[in-house]
Amino acid sequence: ALCSRLSSIRAASSCTNGQTGCHFLSLANLFDRVIQHSARMHGISNDLHSEFELYFLPSKNQIGRVSRNCHTSTILTPNGKENAQRIAREELTEVILKLLVAWREPLWHFHQNMAQHREFNNFSSNKSLEMSEMVHELRRGVQKVVEKMQMLGVINSSLGNLGSPEALLASDRAEWRLMNDYDLLYCFRRDSNKIQNYLKILKCRIVPEHGC
Amino acid sequence: LSIYLSLSLSLSLSLSLIYIIRTLHSPRKFDCRSREKETFSCWWEPGSDGGLPTEYRLFYTQERLREVRECPDYVSAGANSCFFDKKHTSIWAEYTMTVVATNALGNASEEFRITDVMEYVKPDPPVNVTVVVNSSAPSPFLEIRWKSPPDVDVRTGWVTLKYELRVKQNDNIGSETFFNFYNVYPGLLYMVQVRCKLDHGKWSEWSNTIFAEIPKNHQLEKYFWIFVFVFSLVPFLMAMYIVLLKRNAVKQCLLPPVPGPKIKGLNAHLLKSGRSEDVVNALMGNQNFPPVAAWTEQVEDFLLVSDSDEWLLTDSFASEKNKDIFIIPAGLHLGLEIQRRDLSVDLNTWEKTDDSKEEAKSNFSNMEPINLPVEKHEFLNGEEKSIQPLASTSYVDIQQHPTLTDYSRVKEVNDNTILILNEEEIPHGLDAEEVKSEVSVPDDYSRVKEVNSDVVFLEKGDSADGCCKKKEDHYTDWTNQKPIMPLESELSKGFCLKMIASGYVDSGPAFSVK
Repeated sequence: ALCSRLSSIRAASSCTNGQTGCHFLSLANLFDRVIQHSARMHGISNDLHSEFELYFLPSKNQIGRVSRNCHTSTILTPNGKENAQRIAREELTEVILKLLVAWREPLWHFHQNMAQHREFNNFSSNKSLEMSEMVHELRRGVQKVVEKMQMLGVINSSLGNLGSPEALLASDRAEWRLMNDYDLLYCFRRDSNKIQNYLKILKCRIVPEHGC
Repeated sequence: LSIYLSLSLSLSLSLSLIYIIRTLHSPRKFDCRSREKETFSCWWEPGSDGGLPTEYRLFYTQERLREVRECPDYVSAGANSCFFDKKHTSIWAEYTMTVVATNALGNASEEFRITDVMEYVKPDPPVNVTVVVNSSAPSPFLEIRWKSPPDVDVRTGWVTLKYELRVKQNDNIGSETFFNFYNVYPGLLYMVQVRCKLDHGKWSEWSNTIFAEIPKNHQLEKYFWIFVFVFSLVPFLMAMYIVLLKRNAVKQCLLPPVPGPKIKGLNAHLLKSGRSEDVVNALMGNQNFPPVAAWTEQVEDFLLVSDSDEWLLTDSFASEKNKDIFIIPAGLHLGLEIQRRDLSVDLNTWEKTDDSKEEAKSNFSNMEPINLPVEKHEFLNGEEKSIQPLASTSYVDIQQHPTLTDYSRVKEVNDNTILILNEEEIPHGLDAEEVKSEVSVPDDYSRVKEVNSDVVFLEKGDSADGCCKKKEDHYTDWTNQKPIMPLESELSKGFCLKMIASGYVDSGPAFSVK
């Protein structure tokens, strides 16, 4: 199911060139696809986190845990429903993209580490690879949605520089290397949940008629 | 002085005792819960407080906020709790809580850290769980519906509610609010419960149990029994039909006719009474015997019967040369005249075939009781003897194998005895050899197959169906056979003739039925 979703997102990107035989996707349809994608990504991150906890942290003490610093803490994100609904669409979209961009490299390196360590079974190794690929694909998908929205006039085209969001995070690149594996998984689980939530809220604000 | 010292000592001791007991401990065990990912509450457990009234206060900081805030609501969530409303709730943010206990003994505080409210998200169970048994074809199923918990906002996309169902088994079915459960069987009672999970938080408690019973599928049962009935009926009908077709044979098998003495004028009761005169009278009746002179005119001949070269009968009957041997059917019609005939028979080979004998025997049982008028006789063994036709004669010539012999034609037969009728063909039951070796027999004669002292077997013309399986052993062995003088014979199910060794019945009970 994931592969079909990925290929369909790729197909969506190729359709914008106006090739014949392309299926015209509605905005709601696009939103559904990226939301499904993000849900799956969050599910995998949750599985990986639980597995890591199981193997490496048998004594689970939620209350006395050491505070974690995620490298995405600098990105301002709405932390409540009202905040997420009040924030401007463009801002919300920008937050989503920022998050997706910020995680691409750390996840790739995480997968490289996992592939080398023998303690992780094949299940975990495959999931980490899937996770890193998904982050990349999801970012492209969300970019497609943004382009569509701009085309439809749903959002104004002030986000022209979203094509290269790496520019925004140039200064933050090295921070993620300070995180250990467990913190990385914890932080990514949190951020993937944010991404899924923001996408859903965005969809229900823009195209609410298709089941919210 | 000593008294003063002891008094002060006891006083200081008691005072110190009082103060040792009281201490204040910090609160323990901190837990929080968020029902809908918009608000959350936290509870703490107070430590020992020395029995004094103690005040608890909660102060918290968030990871982004530098300032320290106090709990906005100590009341809504109950005792020793703090309720954070929407304004004060930040998801994905870290909280550092400090609970301070204060009483007359002093202060005690404990710090608790909440890394993410998401970890404490646990919704209420789903509501309005309804279960309906849907009996539509092809098989019934449980239609289960429910609603999301009341506080959770599912319309804005802020939360993703996932439901799990258990109908005696766990079925994780995603985010819909209905489920069709097909794994049901008629006649069974099922329990249904639903619970939900908010994002990656904890599962809620299970909703109340709903019961549903699948009705028994009587229609299916009915069809099943109809099917079984039809299938068992077909072979039954076939068996009945076969039995009907072959009822005669079946009757032969199952209910072989047991001959009873059916002698005209003879009464079973009469026999029982035991008076010999009555019996004799009944048996003999109006017997008109030919005058003695007529008897003496004729040469007395023996009717010798044998199935081998040995003339056993000659030995046994040597002393009784004058006696005639007649073949008298079991059912003797006493109105008959018995006529002696010249018979010299060379009985060499009587072949026996078991099967044909059986068949011949079986013929006998099928005959109805009839009189036996013998109309005419023919000659046998080259001797020309004219035999006067009698009103009723009941003997038969024995055919000699292989020469041509004459046969008497016996028309009628008693029910227990056979015989021969007019248009009989050569018996089918004979072996091929036997048939070939013998001269062709005129149609209306029967053939004596086998004779011993007791019995004469006559072949009937047509092949009989029957199952007279009983084989009298003593019939097959001449050598062992003892001629029974006083007319003892054995009725073998009425299939066989009786040969009365001493001739006709003229005195006493002619035969006994064994």
